[in-house]
Amino acid sequence: MWSKKRSPTIATAGAASIAAITLLAACSSGGGSSSSSSSTTAAASASASASSSASASGSPSILAGGNCSSSATQLTFWAWVPGMSRAVTEFNATHPSICVTLEDPGAGESEYTPLNNALKAGTGAPDVAELEFDVLPGYEIQHQLVNLVPYGANNYKSDFAAWAWAQVSQGSGVYAMPSDFGPMGFYYDQQTLAKYHLTPPATWAQFAADAVKLHGENPKAYLINFPANDPQWLMDMMAQAGAWPFKYTGGASLTINWTGPAQEKFAAFWQQLINAHAVAAITDLSTEMNTDLDTGVLGAAIYSAWAPSYFAPDVKHSVGQWRAAALPQWTAGAGVGSDWGGSTYPVFSQSKHPAQAAEFSEWLTASSQSWSIVKTPPSSLFPTYLPTLQSSSFKSLTYPISGTSQPNQVFSAGALSIPLTTWPPFMTQVLNQGMSTFGGVVTGKETLAQAFATFQQQEVSYAKSQGFNVSE
Amino acid sequence: MSSAYARRRGRTGLAFVTPFMLIFTLFMIVPLAYAIDQSLYSTKLIGGTSFSGFANYAAVLQSGAFWGGVIRVVIFGAIQIPVMLAIATFFATIFDLGVAKWGRVFRAIYFVPFAVPIVVSSLMWGFLFDPMYGPFNRFMNAVGFHDFDWMSSALMLPTIIIIAIWEWTGYNCVILYTALKSVPRDVVEAAILDDTPLWKIVARIKLPMVRPALIMLVFINMIGAMQLFVEPTILNNYSPGVVTNTWTPVIDIYSTSIPNGEYQLGAAMAVVLALIIVAISVVSLAFRNRRKEFG
Repeated sequence: MWSKKRSPTIATAGAASIAAITLLAACSSGGGSSSSSSSTTAAASASASASSSASASGSPSILAGGNCSSSATQLTFWAWVPGMSRAVTEFNATHPSICVTLEDPGAGESEYTPLNNALKAGTGAPDVAELEFDVLPGYEIQHQLVNLVPYGANNYKSDFAAWAWAQVSQGSGVYAMPSDFGPMGFYYDQQTLAKYHLTPPATWAQFAADAVKLHGENPKAYLINFPANDPQWLMDMMAQAGAWPFKYTGGASLTINWTGPAQEKFAAFWQQLINAHAVAAITDLSTEMNTDLDTGVLGAAIYSAWAPSYFAPDVKHSVGQWRAAALPQWTAGAGVGSDWGGSTYPVFSQSKHPAQAAEFSEWLTASSQSWSIVKTPPSSLFPTYLPTLQSSSFKSLTYPISGTSQPNQVFSAGALSIPLTTWPPFMTQVLNQGMSTFGGVVTGKETLAQAFATFQQQEVSYAKSQGFNVSE
Repeated sequence: MSSAYARRRGRTGLAFVTPFMLIFTLFMIVPLAYAIDQSLYSTKLIGGTSFSGFANYAAVLQSGAFWGGVIRVVIFGAIQIPVMLAIATFFATIFDLGVAKWGRVFRAIYFVPFAVPIVVSSLMWGFLFDPMYGPFNRFMNAVGFHDFDWMSSALMLPTIIIIAIWEWTGYNCVILYTALKSVPRDVVEAAILDDTPLWKIVARIKLPMVRPALIMLVFINMIGAMQLFVEPTILNNYSPGVVTNTWTPVIDIYSTSIPNGEYQLGAAMAVVLALIIVAISVVSLAFRNRRKEFG
């Protein structure tokens, strides 16, 4: 519900095991969405929210560490990526002077709430923790993160996708090491599309025509789901449309623009499809959405690179039929991508051992030893680390649901064409308010443009109350 | 009376009271004082924390969203409480009269919903009210209401009222039943000897004698209604966007404090809500005192 946070990194973990699925459920409540009035339920997401709140209140479980030599420097590390303990164990084995203890307080907000409390209290925060890209500026502005440049972070700059490095940088500082991300693509069931004589649309205009055509031929089916109440997905789509609504580069000045011409054009595009009932409106990343994809009720999804591993556990009928294509374009042939989610590993200023913590974070994100572990299930992270991202062994990975196709070829290409975006330093509030404000679009109470206008006011007023000089 | 005795008695009393007072102070007074203290400050991302006097209170008092939430829970209570108490009284009376077979068993069954955690019952009702697969919707379909959505904006509150009635009727029933049982037998026996009809015994003798319990339940339920949180929070997962982040005062307080990070504003909202609840309690005490039904 409010302030749900998607944690695609977790989603990435999907892989296969039941354990991973449970975890997913717990995190996708972060996805926050749910069913629409027109269709269906959010069984999974509802039960997920129960389990995630349970994990939020429980104490974190220790997953690795704790048996190193007594002279080693002790570090505490919080992360929710499944299978992360394998990397920590490897680090401890190869770095005897440092002993990392891994705890998993739960995904997204389940971690952020105790983390924020510890940071406020001045004690109890971990040395290193997993933070999603979008929340980094919120910690930077409160001076809670260590600038990693003195610890050699810039040595790794050329090893990372430009978008990811820009995300962790502010001014001349680098405040986290980027790990995984989620380049987006048009993910589709080739048999469903073939049934309606469609191919992956190259432009959004073609996409709209296809969506109307498919729904016209089969009123029970849709080309795609439009989860308006998932602000993260929506904003990522806006980034690709050149309609990114925020500009923030540190300090007290902030630009908020949900009502400019580009934003209005974006809203009008989707509104015409909503009005024509050519798009479904169900819970994003829910079991239901996966089922609809699997059974051909939905022909495709604008998903991200972690989709195959996230979606796979629910695929029963369409095994082998899933293909990835580049996102449709606003200008034909422009080749613009986008990103959905992803995580970073900052060192907190509360840490008594910033040098060792930085060493761990850099090893975890920028070493082939680490990536050889975390790219595999159940972690299945999609690398921002170029040596892994661009390796042919990674690009040529196949997944049972995609048959012999190689979806990472498409997602890897998309990874290098993501428009640079900057997050406002209060993303938790943006997501919380956005879920609430955009909910009415799904239920038909308001248009997307109206919701944008309302949201503009809400965000400007919140930013001003937080002391920012706001430009609109 | 010797002063030594008085002193000793005072000390003994103190010893008995201290454990309670310690815990009460630690877990009630201190957090309350802390919340009030916090509510007088503002923390901005740009500018840090500063004393802001009653600025947070001014913001709460002027917040249309907050009072919209208050009005919503008042409407909720105004419908839910009378309906629930009517049902609870009806069943309590039946159990008390002993006219129902298996009374003991049914009493236990009606009490069971109270033992189900609200999160669990909200999830369960969420499935029952599901627009596509829920049995309630099939029923509405069968009687001719197609595309009926129990969790639409218009019906979310009535739906939650139904759930709350299910959850709390048994509990209220047990309290009323206990009160009915405590009506002195001789009064009822005298009425029976006078050939008073059964309905008259119930309406004229028993119910008036349990009025204090009924009034207490009204106010306890009102205080509960003011704090509505779990049911809408869970049901929002089935019908996103219907329950906004200011839907009830407690949801508003939560979303202001945790995701929005405005703890001090949240504290001010909590204090205002607490004052509303205190006002309800004071009215309740005054009401019971006036009627000489208290103490």
